[in-house]
Amino acid sequence: MSARSEARERAALLAPALLLLGAAVVAPIVRLVMLSLERTGSGPGLPSTFAGLAMHVRLWQDGRWWDALAHTLVFTGSSVGLEMVLGIAFALLLDRPFAGRRWARALVLVPWALPTAVMALAWGWIFNDSFGVLNDVLGRIGLVSGPVAWLGRPGTAMVAMVVADVWKTTPFVALVVLAGLQGIPRSVIDAARIDGASPPAVLWHVVLPLVRPACLVALAFRAAQAFGAFDLPYVLTGGGPGGATETVSLYAYRSFYRYLDFGYAAAIAVQGAALALLLFALVLWLSRRAGVDA
Amino acid sequence: MRRAWPRIARAPVVAALAAALALAAAGCGGRAGEAGPVVRVLLPASERPFWKPLADRFEAAHPGVHVELIEGPESTDLREDLYTASLLARDPTFDLVYMDVIWTAKFAAAGWLRPLDTAFDTTEQRAMLPAALNAGRWHGALWRIPVRTDVGVLYSRSDLLAQAHLAVPETFDQFFAAARALQSPPERWGFVWQGKQYEGLVCNYLEVLRGCGGFWVDPATLKVGLDRPEAARALAFMRRCLGPDPISPPGVTTYQEEESRRLFQDGRAVFLRNWPYVWALAQAGGSPVAGRIAVSPMVHEPGRESGVTLGGWGLGVSAFSRHPDLAIAFAKSTVTLEGQRLLCEKTGFAPARTGAYADSTLLAANPFLPKLEALHAHAVARPAIARYDVASDILQRHLSAALTGGETPARALAAAAAETREALGRAAEAR
Repeated sequence: MSARSEARERAALLAPALLLLGAAVVAPIVRLVMLSLERTGSGPGLPSTFAGLAMHVRLWQDGRWWDALAHTLVFTGSSVGLEMVLGIAFALLLDRPFAGRRWARALVLVPWALPTAVMALAWGWIFNDSFGVLNDVLGRIGLVSGPVAWLGRPGTAMVAMVVADVWKTTPFVALVVLAGLQGIPRSVIDAARIDGASPPAVLWHVVLPLVRPACLVALAFRAAQAFGAFDLPYVLTGGGPGGATETVSLYAYRSFYRYLDFGYAAAIAVQGAALALLLFALVLWLSRRAGVDA
Repeated sequence: MRRAWPRIARAPVVAALAAALALAAAGCGGRAGEAGPVVRVLLPASERPFWKPLADRFEAAHPGVHVELIEGPESTDLREDLYTASLLARDPTFDLVYMDVIWTAKFAAAGWLRPLDTAFDTTEQRAMLPAALNAGRWHGALWRIPVRTDVGVLYSRSDLLAQAHLAVPETFDQFFAAARALQSPPERWGFVWQGKQYEGLVCNYLEVLRGCGGFWVDPATLKVGLDRPEAARALAFMRRCLGPDPISPPGVTTYQEEESRRLFQDGRAVFLRNWPYVWALAQAGGSPVAGRIAVSPMVHEPGRESGVTLGGWGLGVSAFSRHPDLAIAFAKSTVTLEGQRLLCEKTGFAPARTGAYADSTLLAANPFLPKLEALHAHAVARPAIARYDVASDILQRHLSAALTGGETPARALAAAAAETREALGRAAEAR
């Protein structure tokens, strides 16, 4: 068999996958970027005209965009941070042998399996001031004296959104890290113990560095998902109160479907995605550097 | 061996492709071969049973025609998204658009609807409630036939008012006095309403705004009234509800219709601002407040008029419909007296046809009707502007911020006015 025919065959076998990728990923991205260079009119048929970078410039002058970006970053940072800490802790617990461990592992997954919209509706009632379980419980303990409108204040509404997200997605982090933990050979830990390392030292210097790849995978997935958060704020707060929980995705969606401002919605999506990628690269770079230092 | 593999695979692949093509062709052929045209409309799933008798009656009168009532989501926003996606693609699936009052300008401006002035002539138009009909007008043409209407209603606990020898309040001060006298929070609050950041907040605000003599956006001149003193007084009324010495629960800034209705229906509120659907639920057997409710329009400043926000649903005809004449005929059949009876008798919907309010069948089924008709005299329409959603979202965001402490009232209204003017200016420039 000649090298040329082999190369041709390789190309032929790769072609379907490349075509699929091009049609499903590359083409929409190209279309989106092109759309973000257009201004959408409000006349019949919603005509668009080429506008260069006008929509992107408008975005930089739009206070609502900067607000949405700030909310998205606060939400992503706090929810993913908490999820990583809690998820790793859960994974370490679930990795130890105890009675009913299988049941515990299955149960931990329940929140992850629920659709976000359903979960958000339930949390909406939990946080309700008059009918909510949270106020009832806190009132009985004596922590609050009257009804608190958790979703009715900008600060507490954001906290409520983070709590709901942490509740739902910590299991995902726990599961991924648990898989990583189970890949650590028993002999490595035994060796460390024989060398005289205390249990915290084993955890810090042996176990955690070895699950770092799994943690990075969990972090990457969670950060990307949290940055694109749409369903949770859409159902739980509607972006309120006073726009205090509006995320980039919610703003893009509204600009597209509600305002029919396609060019502008595309500009939001393009810049949002670019920033997410940047953030992602930064996190990877930081963690890699931390890994080198340790 | 490795090279032979694709050649062997080729035969089954070609066969499978051919089979798929044949199936697709058969599918298309099958549809085309079906008898008679189909008129389709997307409705909230819960309304389909009420529309079925109308569809049946129309099919009986038009042999061979099929009316397909497609069950959609309950959420208005999600149905609007479905219609938007379909109409954007110039897709002929939906012949009729079952429209909220606030969709008219947006859909008409986008070129998605047919004008209906000739199909639905002046005589027919005059038979409709003027407020409901006008909600279907934009730039002088009619784009939507009203089918049923909604108005904002102030519900009061008549038993509590009577015990305290108080009349149903008409002015802001009477209202606060009565609410404070009759409430005992947190067991029973004075006033519950819709304060979440969403369309309902705008509806609530518009009623108070009219009660102060103000306006939001004039659809003809595009003048914005949000930085005038009336708008500030209307916002002050809402903030006064929240305290100091509040008459509304702190969570009212997170409430939509249902949260507020539950409190009222459980006997935990003296006054409720909501829509007509509450009447039937609160008066039903088993409701703790049945027989103890009065209805009135929203309260106002002394010397001003009440305002009730106009809602309601109607039918528009898609510009991409393949059977526009049948679609128009069906829409018209829903607003005949018989059509309105079929739709409103069992549901308690408020008919759009004026004559239906004097109909003995409907009156027997729904004694609330005369009150609803009277409330329409105070109807406040939301402005018919193409970028209504933008204007509404601006107002929602700043009202909500002013109510929850994110912005001072003065800053909120000044910002809302400035942003609204900018958005309307941008719309004019993009036209």
